Formats: sequence, C-alpha cells, structure tokens
Amino acid sequence: MVNDKNIYKPLRAKLKDVIDESPLIKTLVLIPEKQFSFKTGQFIELSVDGIGEAPFTPSSSPLVTEKLEVTIMKTGYVTEYMHNLKPGVFMGIRGPYGRGYPVEKFFGKEVLILGGGCGLAPIRSLLYALEAIKDKLIKVILCYGSKTPTDCIYKPLFNRLNITEKFEAYRTVDKAEEGWDGSVGVVTTLLNKIKVDIKNSIAVVCGPPIMMKFGTIRLLEMGYQEDQIYLSMEKNMSCGLGKCGHCMMGEFFVCKDGPVFTYNELKNTPDIWK
Amino acid sequence: MKTEGKKLTSTDFKKIRFFDHYTDKQLDTIARMSSVKEFRVKEILFEQYDELSDVYVLLEGSLSLGISLAKEKRIHLGTIEEGQMFSWSAVFSPYISTAWVMATTPAKVISIDAKTLNKEIEKDCDFGFKTMSKIAQTISHRLSDTRFQLMNQLML
Repeated sequence: MVNDKNIYKPLRAKLKDVIDESPLIKTLVLIPEKQFSFKTGQFIELSVDGIGEAPFTPSSSPLVTEKLEVTIMKTGYVTEYMHNLKPGVFMGIRGPYGRGYPVEKFFGKEVLILGGGCGLAPIRSLLYALEAIKDKLIKVILCYGSKTPTDCIYKPLFNRLNITEKFEAYRTVDKAEEGWDGSVGVVTTLLNKIKVDIKNSIAVVCGPPIMMKFGTIRLLEMGYQEDQIYLSMEKNMSCGLGKCGHCMMGEFFVCKDGPVFTYNELKNTPDIWK
Repeated sequence: MKTEGKKLTSTDFKKIRFFDHYTDKQLDTIARMSSVKEFRVKEILFEQYDELSDVYVLLEGSLSLGISLAKEKRIHLGTIEEGQMFSWSAVFSPYISTAWVMATTPAKVISIDAKTLNKEIEKDCDFGFKTMSKIAQTISHRLSDTRFQLMNQLML
C-alpha cells in the first residue's frame, strides 16, 4: 500500500530490443508490465537498478500503450550503461511527466517541425500523433539536420513520410560523406526551400541548444509570432516532479511546467539556450 | 554551360520567392536583363575569386557552394536550393566571388546582368530598395548559417 503511493517507485519494463540508430544513438524497445500511456512531448525517467536514472521523451507513438520506445544518445555513465544492455533485462519507468505538445491547437494549421540530432526522438512521437489526426491538419513539414548522413537517425522514417499524404520531410547534413547527394548545410538552410503559410502555421523546434537558438531566430525572421513557436526544452531534468530544482529556468520548472513551452513563455528567461 | 533562347517574362519570375513584392513592371524590367543558363553535373558556374558579371537565381536542380584552399582542395559548405539567389558579389565592388559554385545535378539558373541591374538600382529607388533588401537578407542568412556552422564546430 505504501509502495502504491510512492511517487519514486518505477514501473518495471522488460527490454525487448535494442536498435542501433547511429554510432552514438540507440533505441530501446520496452514492454512495460502494465499498459503505459503518455501524451506526445511528455517525458519519462528511465532507470537501471543500481546504476541510475535519466529523463527521456519517448520516441514511440503515444497511441500505443503496451510498448514504449526510448531513443538514447550516449553522453555519460548511465546512458552508456543503457546502450550496453541486452534484451531480457528489466528497467524502470517513472512518469509520464510534464506538459507535452498541445496538438489540439494544431488543428486546421500547417505544422513546421525543425529538428536536429537526437531531437528527432521526441519529434518522431509527435509525427506519429500528427499522422493519426492528419485529417484535421493542413500539412506537416519536417526539416531535419544531422552532422553527417551516418548520424541521421530513423532513416526509413523520411521515405515513409514523403509518401504519406499531407507530410513532407527534408534532410540536410553539416558534412557530406561519400554517396550523399542530398542537401549540405545547417538545418536552417532547408527553410529556404519549403513553402509555408506562416500566418496559419505552428512551428516546433527540438534539438541541441545551438540549433534551437538559430532555428528560433530564423523562424522569427520569417514572420512567426512568439506564441506560434513551440520549443522542447529537455535539459537538466532530474526528479521529474518539480521538487529538486535542477531544471529551474527562470520562473519555470522544465520538468513540471514544460518540457514543451512557447517561445513567448521563455523569451525573457536568462540563459534560455545554455 | 548552355544559354536557353527562351525569352523570360514577368510571369516566370512570379513563381520565385526571391521576386515576391516586385511590381509587374519591375519584373518586366528584370526579365529584360535576364536569360536562362543550363549547367551540366560537376560543371563549375564560377570559381572563388573569379570576377563576376551576373547575379544568379537557381530555377531547377541543385548546386554546391564552397571555398577552396587550393583548386584541388574544395571545401563544400552548403547546398543552394531552388529559388535561392547567389553570386551577389556581382553587384558590389570589387565584384569578386567569395566562394565557388558547382552543379551537383543538371541545373537551370536565371542569370541577371549585374551592370544593368546596378543601373536600374540607381535609377529606380523603389526597385533599388527592394533589390538591396533581398540581397541583404540573403547575405544575412548566409552569415547566420555560417555562425551556426562555426558554433557547431566549436562545440564539438
């Protein structure tokens, strides 16, 4: 009974599969012991007993409750440990936490998504959610940048989106490799080739801080209003409950008030892109 | 490189984002100083430090833009997308290109005679303001993208 009320007690989930996405990024496919629901953009705390836990936004469809996919970039001790896990082990899930994407506000609009690097993980979940409500949207445009073609994750996703009605997907790389004949340059260069009705559009930005900064500046230059731009601020989250204060950004707890914010909400926050 | 015989009209320019906000009369003026040129795969449109006489807008295909340490060592910085303007150095003294541009697919570009364009910029203030604003925006985006690239490299 005490355990049922323990907000820190994770739900057990069996690791079913580990998918290599790029040299530094893997997707863990988990089967929770109970059905697990989340809203796209919300995050979870994923743990390994005796090792630690870390926050991640699921990359799978929010419509699927019996399976959860989490895409993890190797950045430190815990994530490296998670990369080396083998199918069959149990992990812990806490959450879901925070405020996700308000997809109902996207109805009747064009959705422009700007993603970089591992930021495509939460975006993939959003794309699944948008695909399910595509009848209520005008169109969805994904612009994604990775360092090299090898670093691009979910490669089949781009082909699938480009044959899905109302969806367009574009990729660019900072540095080309042998055999790459697509765009080269930072992700903002892709904005030169898309056609979007800015007044009737919502923009979503998710990726490394530098990309989010330059992406947001370009969107503002294009004519987007501050409340038309949604940012996914996934950093420094620790407890997930608004208690530890690690994720404080100005007046906000990213874990509780976010991680999805409009630029209008955050524009006066110091060190927003830190 | 091949120059197409087809005469351009204002209608051809209306489809291109770079020419938004120009009046029909102004687009006719641009059309009169323009031609369409075609380039083969791997054909160099111009080299870094070449003297330039034309401003280009990419109509079809894909172009690569970069800088060189030596002729054999080309550094590819980015891709020029359809509808983008490039070769802006042709409008400003000393009219020397700051980068090379090469066709990565068969490419079709609008070539605008820079001397005639500059004369029109001096003659028609409204036309001049629009054109200079568009060119400044292009250069500003290029600069911003370069800073973005630089910060990416510095953070590695």
